[in-house]
Amino acid sequence: MKLLPSRFLPERPLRLPRLRPYVPQPTDPPIFWFNAERDDIVREAVRRIVEQKAQSGRMELVLNDVAYHESERLERQRDAESRESLGFWRGVLRRVGRMSDAEKRETLRSITEHMVRDIAGNFDPRVYAFATKALPKLLTGLMNPSQLRTAMLQSQPRTLDGLLITEGAIPKLRHLATRGTLVFVPTHSSNLDSIVLGYALMREGLPPVSYGAGKNLFTNPLISFFMHNLGAYRLDRRIKAGLYKDALKAYSTVLLERGYHSLFFPGGTRSRSGMIEQHLKLGLAGTALEAFARNQSRGIDRPLWFVPTTINYALVLEAESLIEDHLKEQGKARYIVEDDEFSSVERWLDFLRKLSVLSSACVIRFGEPMDPFANPVDDEGRSLAPDGRVIAARSYVERRGEAVVDAARDAAYTTLLGEAIAERFLRETVIMSTQLVAHVLFRAIVSATPGIDLFGRMRHRGDVSVPIAKLCAEVGEARDALLALEREGAVRGSPALHRDPPEQLVERALQFWTGYHSAPVATHTGAEVVCEDPALLHFYGNRLVPFATRIAGEAHLGAAREIARMGQRA
Amino acid sequence: MSLRVGIVGGGSFGRGLATAAARAGNDVTLWSRAAHSSDATPAPYRRTSALADIAATELIFVAVPSPHVRDTARALGAHLDGSHLLVHVSRGLIGDGLHTITRVLREETPVVRLGALAGPLVADALAAGTPSGAVVGSLFPEVGAAVRQAIAGETLRIYTTDDVAGVEVGSALVGMLALATGFAMGIGSGPAALAVLCTRGIAEAQRVGTRLGARERTLAGLAGFGDLTSAVAGDERPEIRLGRALAQGRSLEDAARDAGAYIEGVSIARRVARFAEQAGVDAPIAAATAAVVDGVLAPRDAMRALMARQVTPE
Repeated sequence: MKLLPSRFLPERPLRLPRLRPYVPQPTDPPIFWFNAERDDIVREAVRRIVEQKAQSGRMELVLNDVAYHESERLERQRDAESRESLGFWRGVLRRVGRMSDAEKRETLRSITEHMVRDIAGNFDPRVYAFATKALPKLLTGLMNPSQLRTAMLQSQPRTLDGLLITEGAIPKLRHLATRGTLVFVPTHSSNLDSIVLGYALMREGLPPVSYGAGKNLFTNPLISFFMHNLGAYRLDRRIKAGLYKDALKAYSTVLLERGYHSLFFPGGTRSRSGMIEQHLKLGLAGTALEAFARNQSRGIDRPLWFVPTTINYALVLEAESLIEDHLKEQGKARYIVEDDEFSSVERWLDFLRKLSVLSSACVIRFGEPMDPFANPVDDEGRSLAPDGRVIAARSYVERRGEAVVDAARDAAYTTLLGEAIAERFLRETVIMSTQLVAHVLFRAIVSATPGIDLFGRMRHRGDVSVPIAKLCAEVGEARDALLALEREGAVRGSPALHRDPPEQLVERALQFWTGYHSAPVATHTGAEVVCEDPALLHFYGNRLVPFATRIAGEAHLGAAREIARMGQRA
Repeated sequence: MSLRVGIVGGGSFGRGLATAAARAGNDVTLWSRAAHSSDATPAPYRRTSALADIAATELIFVAVPSPHVRDTARALGAHLDGSHLLVHVSRGLIGDGLHTITRVLREETPVVRLGALAGPLVADALAAGTPSGAVVGSLFPEVGAAVRQAIAGETLRIYTTDDVAGVEVGSALVGMLALATGFAMGIGSGPAALAVLCTRGIAEAQRVGTRLGARERTLAGLAGFGDLTSAVAGDERPEIRLGRALAQGRSLEDAARDAGAYIEGVSIARRVARFAEQAGVDAPIAAATAAVVDGVLAPRDAMRALMARQVTPE
């Protein structure tokens, strides 16, 4: 094992050396067994892929494809990795036509094993113990250095706890975690999501989860160390070969089959527009269906539940780059934004300091769990039919009384599950005061600039202002409509939205924005609030797009319809 | 290996499906509300009036008129679980939101492997085994395969698609277009006028359909264009009879009684017209059909109004 990174940014994340292996306790969550099982998991994933390619007679095709794509990538990359491995891939391309079946099989096995090992994570109970105890205090201290000493001595770091509100089906999930596998599927707005969610799980006594994170997130050495040692596995989005996707899927399937609680962002990437994700492809989350079916077909009745979760920020760390990206790409997701606020230590500190003087900056809402077929479940996790009857989840993978694995069927279930999760995202979204105020202000921009497109509107920096009394009245009106929707179960409002009068909501939103974003979002001058940055108002306000027409009064219905149409196009 | 097929609904289409499925060598159970003591005709399939008997089957066809689908599905759902395959043959969309029937089936039953069967297939052809064809819309390939195993044969071609909404919207809107075509026939329109009406009707169905999640191509297939062609070619469709009767100036109640079956086309014309207006979709044929059905417009004036519209690129 390498103890020191060979370059400034280590190619592989660091692990701590250990003399004696950790012996998991019966009460430990499944992931505590991970290190003991890792080799076995890797072997099983590799075996499945090689077996499947050999049986379908596609070994040569697969080897050609992976060698071609990897050579192409490395030729472009021109870095240390290229110098190391380009020769290998070119060799494969040259030789594959002359290889015997046994040679093909061995080459495929070694390539696949290399890939799966690169993907596989680590779980170090010591790092988990450290993170549980010290990290909240350390983060609190970072936010407010003058209190670092007291924070480290306190048993409950107050600042961080006040910043993050958790709500929803927490006691039920705690119980289900001991009975089956939980698959958390949250909305995705920031690279902080996995860290914040990880902390929330810890604080609420929910088990740690295994999850895949883009390799680009591992470039920050400190974050990389924690992520890697707390169960994250690495996704290298630069690798285009089909074999790599198969490797990821097989790895994820084996983890889920063995009951490791997991986390997937079903939207794939962070929401560039700030909108609630609605077109979910599920990607790796779909492997949960296969894992469930495989277990059932082998007589293992291990239940598995999806937990639609929303992560709602009053302030988004990367808001500026995200919306810029959205406007530039017109909604098309760009995979790797290397140079955004996430990689800048200064922006992190600004962000954390900003949060330290505020409270309730983030609300995580855990929705009601559902089975892989989008059925609700009772407190024991049993699937429920529409008439409230308990039914067997197993029946969904049965044909003629036998549980079977069927990729086409599971793809269809996955599509339907994506629709169900998207629908739940709307209902479980918690609207924050910054989002509501931004929405009302952006609507004012739309009303004031009729007949021009989104990009034209982005140029109206500081041109539109709203008298403070009018703004408060409109925020109040929208808030009341939103809370009426909440009573129907269509959406949620944050505690502040329930508690504070409109004047305070506006004040609070302006306070959140001031000092973090590099340019003002909106400013309060005299009797007016000026819309300074249409792009950020668009970003924060976009969270309300699905509800735009339902919370608009008669006077704003036209603008609200236009905003709703922007949402359909994105 | 034969398939256990259940059929819910003892109307002519339900009986036709049962006959075809039994002819293909399957084990068939047909449920209908009424007891069958009065019906002495021997049938090649089992009959029951207990929905619980349907639970023992694998593939279930729901063949009840769309207004009864929700209640029937709720009662049926109490006996089913995730292992069943459920396919409906109802022509219709539900409520002002024009929700599909598979959506209602999902809301009322625990079944997820759903499908919709549509196209020019009529009850007589099913029962008699005369050449015909149909399309099954389902996200699940095994549903299409099961329907094929249940009823396909030398004289019945069953196509498949994963565009479920396309099949359901097509089937419902063809009902409305057949009604409109019936009027046009009743006022003596010639073949060319009928061709224009049908072609523009399918274009309208495509515009409305894409708003409801359907793919245009599906509406140009058996569930849309194919089904309408069969109606125009004279497959004795009740919608055509109703349209003709209305064109002769008979009242809606009177005409509907004569046409026999429940006619979805009447209610759907109004709802499609309203939906299209709200969604900003151009749907002149739905609007004209609704106006004629409601007696606001005489059939002859409706045709004139349609022809007088501004012509745009096709």
